[in-house]
Parts: sequence; C-alpha cells; structure tokens
Amino acid sequence: MSRKLYFGISFLLMLLSSTATFAEESAKQVVEEFQNQLIDVMKQGKSLGFQGRYDKLDAPVKKTHDLPKIARIVVGKQWEELTPEQQTKLEDVFTKLSVSSYAHNFKDYSGESFTFLSEEETGRGGVVIHTNLLIPGEKDVKFDYMMKKKDDGWQIINIIADGVSDLALKRSDYTSVLSREGFDALIIKITEKIDSYAKQ
Amino acid sequence: MFSLLHPGKNRVLAFTGLLISSALLTTGCASTDKRDPASPTSAQGNPKVDPYEGFNRSMYGFNMGLDKYLLKPVATGYQYITPDFMETGVSNFFTNLKGINVVLNDVLQGKFGQSAEDTGRFLTNTTLGVAGLFDVASSFGMQNNVEDFGQTLAVWGVDQGAYLVLPILGPTTIRDGGGSILDRAANPGTYVPGTGILEGINDRANADGALNFIDEAALDPYVFTRESFLQYRTNLINDGKTDTSGYDLDLDSALDETQPANAGGQKSGKTESGSPKATNGITDSNATAPTATSSTSQAFNDMSKSFDRAEQEFEQASEKMDRYASRKRRRR
Repeated sequence: MSRKLYFGISFLLMLLSSTATFAEESAKQVVEEFQNQLIDVMKQGKSLGFQGRYDKLDAPVKKTHDLPKIARIVVGKQWEELTPEQQTKLEDVFTKLSVSSYAHNFKDYSGESFTFLSEEETGRGGVVIHTNLLIPGEKDVKFDYMMKKKDDGWQIINIIADGVSDLALKRSDYTSVLSREGFDALIIKITEKIDSYAKQ
Repeated sequence: MFSLLHPGKNRVLAFTGLLISSALLTTGCASTDKRDPASPTSAQGNPKVDPYEGFNRSMYGFNMGLDKYLLKPVATGYQYITPDFMETGVSNFFTNLKGINVVLNDVLQGKFGQSAEDTGRFLTNTTLGVAGLFDVASSFGMQNNVEDFGQTLAVWGVDQGAYLVLPILGPTTIRDGGGSILDRAANPGTYVPGTGILEGINDRANADGALNFIDEAALDPYVFTRESFLQYRTNLINDGKTDTSGYDLDLDSALDETQPANAGGQKSGKTESGSPKATNGITDSNATAPTATSSTSQAFNDMSKSFDRAEQEFEQASEKMDRYASRKRRRR
C-alpha cells in the first residue's frame, strides 16, 4: 500500500517537473513579453510620470535582462581590479541606470508596435531574436536581442538597435571613463545620468 | 530635367574620375602603416582605430563649442521660424538630390536591382514630388536607401583607416573622408552657391534628436560618438545584414577579457604585457610605427607635430568661445 503511494507520488512529481520544463518560456516569449510590457507603459506613460514608469518597469527589466553580467562586461577587464564593494556598487547603480533609461526613453505612445521577424541560433548556445519597432510615419528600427540561457530561463544580454550594439557602446564608454578618471568618477557620472533622467 | 543636368554631369564625371584615383591614393597611403588583418570595427580603446585621439578630442571639443554657441542656436531659430511642412520639404529636397549619388553607388557596388528601385524613387520624387520637395515615393512604399562613396570604397576593400574628427564637418574616417569628397562632387547641390549653408542648417536641425540622446546617455560623449558612428557606418556598409557570428565573437571577447583574470594570479603581469595603453593618441601613433624606416617615422613625427599645433589652436579657439560667451552673459 505504502509502496503504491510512494510510486504514485513519485509519478506525480515526475509529471510536475516535466510540465515545469514545458512551462519555461522560450527566448522569443521572453522578448515578446517584455516588449508588450514596454508598449503598455508607453500607453500610460504620460499619466504614470517618470516614477510611475520606473516602478512598473523595475521588475520586468530586472527579470528579463542579465544586468549583473552586463555590468561586468561593460567595464571589461577592469572588473577584476575592483574591490567586492565597488563591484556591488557598480551593479547597483548600473541596474538603476538601466531601468531609468527605459523609463525615460519609452515615455509616450504614438502608435508604436513591435513585430517579431526571426530567430537565430548563435555559436555558443545563444539565440538572437530579430524584431522591428514600427513607428508610424518613420523608418522601422531594427531591434536584435541577444539572449543567453541562465538557470532561471532566457535573459537579454545585449540589444542591437539598427546595427548599433548597446553592449559594445557602453563598454567603450565605461572603460574610457574608468581608465581616464577612475572608479569614483564613473559612479558619479552614472548617478548624474540617473538624476537627469528622473528630472525630465 | 536631364538635359538641364547634362553639362553638369559631364563635369561631375570627369571630376569624379580624377578624385577616385586621388582618394584611393590617400587612403592607400594612410592604411599601409596600420594594416591589421583582424581590424576590428569597434575602436574599443584600440589605438589603431583612433590613433589621433588627442587631436580628435580637442577637435570634438571645438565642434561642440561651435555647436553650442553658433550651430545649435541657428538650427533652433530655423526650426522656430520655419513651418513644419517647409522644414520637411527642405529635408526631402536635399535627400532627393543625393538620389543620383545613391544610384551611382548602387551600380558601383553591383546592386543592380536596388539601383533600379532607387532610380524609380528619384524620378518619382523629382517629378510627382515637385523637384523632391515631397517624398511621395515613400508613401508608395519605396524605401529610402543610404548609399555613398564611403560605403562603395568599403565594398571595394579599402580599409577603414583612422577615425578622424574634422572641424565643423565632424566625425569621419580616412575612407569616409575620401568618399565624401566624391559625394560632394556627385551632388548637383554643390554647384549652386549658398545651398551648402541651408543644407548644413537643415542637417543640424535633423540631428537634434541624436545629439540630445548622446548628451543624455553618454558618460564620455567623445567615445560614445565615435563608437556609434563607426558601428552605424559598418551597419550601412553591410546593408543592415548583421551576421550573428559577430555578436558572439564580440561577446566572447568581452567575456574572455574578464575570465582569464578571473583565475587570478597573473593579473598584473597580464595588464602590463597587454597592448600598451595610450594615454595620448598622438604619442602612441609614434610608438606604433617602430618598424617603419626612419624617414617615414620622421614624416609621422612632423605630422604629429603639426597635428599638435592645430590641436592647440583649436583648443584656444574653444576657450575663446567660452570666454566670449561668459563675458556676454555677465554683461546682460
């Protein structure tokens, strides 16, 4: 009897775990869900105000972007020369900056929409999701999302807008400030950017 | 329309032929010293992409000063006094004038299908669009392609060459600079005096959004501008076809940079043996050419010196602009 129960439970558990893997989102779903959230925030952008948009986007941005990884890539080899406190500080302000810049740049709605174009696998188990941002009366903007798989699903590691890689741009920008002016100046500059985003 | 253009076009073609050879010569010369098999598109603190960083930075500072005190106010004034439909008309007109150039470069790059489309676009906008004032072709679904001689040279295999910031004209590379001389020669607007100024004001007005974005997002606006310019140009050369292997390489190199150091230990040795960090682009350009014969390095020295002089003069000019502006403000 107890053995039967044991089998029954283990069978149930197996079933559960297999549905869990089925329920895991594909890279495409992660991107599309995030884009829908962006459009949603844009539609209510004016009434939400900056802080409202920030609060609404905070969780989705943190969930869909591998921000700790991005933060360490943008400072290049100098990451290892930072103390653990500095690394945490950088991750922290970088996360705030990322959410702020989304809240600042996607502030109002004039009929924009995202469309999925194609999906492409890259060499090392990554996936690139090609999408277009359609803006009425303007040329489409290509948004390519580079995705990497982490334990808890797919996450965005880089966004390439019309061929301009956000990661590469930030890496040059941040390493330049780090090597010319040092860590403290970098943090001050990032904080200034966050403040100026919040003001507008 | 064409009979009107014809005499000009002949002159343009003769001029073009002459310039192609000279442009190839200059780009050829400039790239021999810096030829690198794995020449990266991104500068990434790479002295080979931006060997004149010191000079470029002060030129960038000068341009930004000029923009702040002269170009931006003029462009804003232009936007303020010009009705929106006229602004769009002016933009369309100058974009349409570049149409000839686009078709020419389509052919030179072997894109015959696209050249037919672009010819159709140019003819439509020139006739139905009243000399290009209205962009009717876009509403017919014909998209605007951007092609120029800089891209053609790239397709032909000319190296990008060093990144340069020119006074007033702004960011370019040796290859694009050579190309833009040809672009100007193949643009009918060049031969009508005064249009250059209007086109410049219009271009500045159109760039307002991009410049504001840089202002908002960049920690080091000089580097931000350089990287986005180079990436934007590479994207145009590849006609927007990004190859994904590039993404991974880019990312992997970024990860590799952090990973070996991750293992710890030989960290300090690694940074020292790595590529010599340039504190100043100009001294570095001397350092990168130790293999060259003494005469070329002498030439390099001379060039650096004249760059240095120009740099100082432009820096002084920037300072003067600032001083003048602050004096004016105080007087008010």
